[in-house]
Amino acid sequence: MRKEALSKGTIYILLSLGAILMLLPFVWMISTSLKAPNEVMAMPPVWIPSEWQFGNYSEASESAPFGTYFFNSIVVTVLTTIGELLTTILAAYAFSRINFYGKGIVFAVLLGTMMVPGEMLLIPNFVTVSNLGWIDSYEGLIVPWIASIFSIFLLRQYFFSVPQELSYAAKVDGCSDFKFLWYVMVPLAKPALITIALLKIIGSWNAFLWPLIVTNSQELRTLPVGLSAFTTEAGIKYELLMAASTMVILPMLLLFFVMQKYVISGVARSGLKG
Amino acid sequence: MQKPTWKSTLKGYLYLLPALLILVVFSIYPIIKSFLMSFYTDYDFFSDTVNAYGLENFTKLFQDPNFITALKNTGIFVIGVVPLSIIISLAIAVLLNSKIKLSGFFRTIYFLPFVTSVVAVAIVWSWIFHSDYGLLNYILGLFGVDPIDWLTSPTYAMPALIILSIWKGLGFNIIIFLAGLQNIGNQYYLAAKVDGASAWNRFKSITLPLLSPTMFFVSIISIINAFKVFDEIFALFNGRPGPANSALTVVYYVYQKFYEEWEFGLATAAAFVLFLIIFLFTIIQLIVGKKFVHYN
Amino acid sequence: MDIHLNQLSMVFDNTTAVQEMTTTIKDGELVSLLGPSGCGKSTTLMLLSGLYKPTSGSIHFGDQDVTKLDAEKRGIGMVFQSYALYPHLSVLKNIMFPLRMKKVPKKEAEARAKEMAELVQIGHLLDRKPGQLSGGQQQRVAIARALVKKPNVLLLDEPLSNLDARLRLEMREEIRRIQQEIGITAIFVTHDQEEALSISDRVMLMKDGIIQQESAPQNMYKKPENEFVASFLGNPPINLMTLTKTHESTVYRLADSKEIIQLPALPPEDMETVRLGIRAEDLFHTTENPLFQGEIIHIETIGRDTLIRMQVGSITVRALVDPEQQLQIGDAYSLGVRPGNVHYFHSESGKRLPLQMRGGNWHAKTNVEEHA
Ligand SMILES: Nc1ncnc2c1ncn2[C@@H]1O[C@H](COP(=O)(O)OP(=O)(O)OP(=O)(O)O)[C@@H](O)[C@H]1O
Ligand SMILES: [Mg+2]
Repeated sequence: MRKEALSKGTIYILLSLGAILMLLPFVWMISTSLKAPNEVMAMPPVWIPSEWQFGNYSEASESAPFGTYFFNSIVVTVLTTIGELLTTILAAYAFSRINFYGKGIVFAVLLGTMMVPGEMLLIPNFVTVSNLGWIDSYEGLIVPWIASIFSIFLLRQYFFSVPQELSYAAKVDGCSDFKFLWYVMVPLAKPALITIALLKIIGSWNAFLWPLIVTNSQELRTLPVGLSAFTTEAGIKYELLMAASTMVILPMLLLFFVMQKYVISGVARSGLKG
Repeated sequence: MQKPTWKSTLKGYLYLLPALLILVVFSIYPIIKSFLMSFYTDYDFFSDTVNAYGLENFTKLFQDPNFITALKNTGIFVIGVVPLSIIISLAIAVLLNSKIKLSGFFRTIYFLPFVTSVVAVAIVWSWIFHSDYGLLNYILGLFGVDPIDWLTSPTYAMPALIILSIWKGLGFNIIIFLAGLQNIGNQYYLAAKVDGASAWNRFKSITLPLLSPTMFFVSIISIINAFKVFDEIFALFNGRPGPANSALTVVYYVYQKFYEEWEFGLATAAAFVLFLIIFLFTIIQLIVGKKFVHYN
Repeated sequence: MDIHLNQLSMVFDNTTAVQEMTTTIKDGELVSLLGPSGCGKSTTLMLLSGLYKPTSGSIHFGDQDVTKLDAEKRGIGMVFQSYALYPHLSVLKNIMFPLRMKKVPKKEAEARAKEMAELVQIGHLLDRKPGQLSGGQQQRVAIARALVKKPNVLLLDEPLSNLDARLRLEMREEIRRIQQEIGITAIFVTHDQEEALSISDRVMLMKDGIIQQESAPQNMYKKPENEFVASFLGNPPINLMTLTKTHESTVYRLADSKEIIQLPALPPEDMETVRLGIRAEDLFHTTENPLFQGEIIHIETIGRDTLIRMQVGSITVRALVDPEQQLQIGDAYSLGVRPGNVHYFHSESGKRLPLQMRGGNWHAKTNVEEHA
């Protein structure tokens, strides 16, 4: 008989306990977001509101321009993601399928810059963006983020796994390089592209420091920045704060539930390359 | 593939152009620029003119007690987060890997915080940490612990930050560990079982050594990420670096100098120091990582 | 449309894969490119397709110089060893792909693709993905895809090497049938000599990037132009040995032994040493004026034939003999050959040498006695 350190039952109990701890903040957030003000501060805590105050959500969205924030977040996330996919596809194709002078050096330099923490680039990028007149604009929020070395690297690996003969076959079938990329490579790399897109969506939706410094006006704030400002505005109205937090978190949670396979495989791959 | 020609080179760079343009302007140029900026001692942002260069920023930096505090706090934060987070996530990963049903379900749950906005969850945690009505103090109170001023006492601000960070980052480490564990061939375990090794011995003498490259990767990534902590602090302490600078970290210091005080030279110098620290760890990873290659 | 290759060369970093190849492939012909691994067959095909551009030399399709033309503009169809089907597209979409690239309207493309699918007999598989097909079916899809745009030339690079023996036989007949049905010029790369000899109008045998011989299959087998061709073709391999002239001008012995060989046909008189080649199946048992005499050292049954190896002086000779005979290892045995089945090659250049037939008064027997 196999000697196990822990029985199946113990494993389940330990994992469930951990899972409860992981979920507790979310549960508490949603619970608070649905409470009437008098229940929020009740001791002992009330887990299930006696009356569900869905009105908290509309009250929160009215007390700050969350509609605008939401719209901005969507615009920024969608455009950043599309932009990154385009630049990544083209660059990964060049690195995996075209032989050109300086390829090795360019690739090495790009990989090298991956070591540099983004925080270090913050100030010079701020200067650049303000020189371009992009402070407080969509350009400033989007353009610096539409290329990612990590994504290029990931997709390049994927492209390498497409046999060379397939590109020969496509050439013979009348494809130019660009058509081959578009009609063959891109459809074949769909899983990798979905992964790249999802990681970008998550990163872009949740980004904070950069949107914080390049936006001044309310009209261009993204959700996290708007939410952070809201903490000061809402004061101690925790039910509104939690409702607002839920609105920020929920879209990503839903997206993750639907597409978790791709997200997790992308994260796992980032580990395997190490 | 054929040798490069001028034609293929032109084509290659054409394909590379969009990505390269962005990366040069927003990644490569700023690296050089921030290196230079850290030597600007007299800089006018509005006209983008530099009046004087020098090492002054660095001497000023290390004479600034706030920067020393930031370095110290960052160090404490790294030490507080990394080992604990690795031990917990490794334990969970091993449990998840033990061929139980629902392991996918648990994995999803543990991973949830990773996909959520740091700002939003930090705000949720700041509510949980509330000293009078917070959930945490209530639960601790059930065990007879007196209420703790998590966010307003300089002693507890850092622990609060550490708890939040571990909770947030656990899922990432678990996924990486799981991938590493699944890479270990079953044959080792079978062999060990035949030899009559106990579960703990199997873990100690097979899992751990074979997992060491993953372990190493996770450690370095965790250390690097911990050095860069900012969003959590900003949201947890409502736009301040904790009570009495108790959660002032290097990146927060950079942000303060740059965005609040417009001390560009000092801020880039601090960022540069951060880069050197991270660079050092990356180099260690590359060197030690090379040695691990022989393992598998 | 004829294809002319003129002084075509392809040099990779330090290997010359194709060297100054000059030849013409006639319209409607099926030509096999045969040769050992690494001799430059695939490279030649890649040059023909335009996927590689030559280092020097030129390629003409009819009157048009296509040397610098890219693959997508040459109007060729190509079948690859791995089939290279698009994994994300159905069989029908795979076959339609070249037409869609040429902007043929969807309806027409579909009709033509279906027609082509019928020709290669996969009409019932149109909705499957390549991953759901057997090797032979994938092969047919690849052929259909290559032919659907009505190319001027069909290039096939070892299209059968991933199939099992039975299917290989079937598919090569199939390729021949389709090729003749549409009368397309086809170039077929293979390293399997049987394949090359059985389906092609003409075989080009290559070695180290150089064409060794190009001729009709039987001709190449019967009249190898050099020693390499002789040794490459045939199974069991041809018997090759070096002969040295003795003091007597019409008597030859094996180079490194005293064994005298009774030759039914002689090499040119001015040769001191020559290489002799005789195919195993051209040897037969005889006691009258035998060519080789020796001891049987090995017996093996191959299908309906019996292959023996016989020690003759310092060499061994392979022969296919009558399976009815009761032979045993150690038996003394003797073999003869008809004069027309003897091949001579220059001992240095390896080039084929002309034969001299002996006259009727041929006293081989006395020669043996004299020297024994
Ligand atoms: N892309 C390349 N770069 C460098 N050398 C190459 C390249 N392609 C082929 N060669 C070399 O050119 C020579 C001919 O190769 P080729 O692929 O044409 O041989 P082949 O006759 O098709 O062999 P096989 O029967 O093994 O397919 C070989 O020595 C090979 O190593
Ligand atoms: Mg080949």
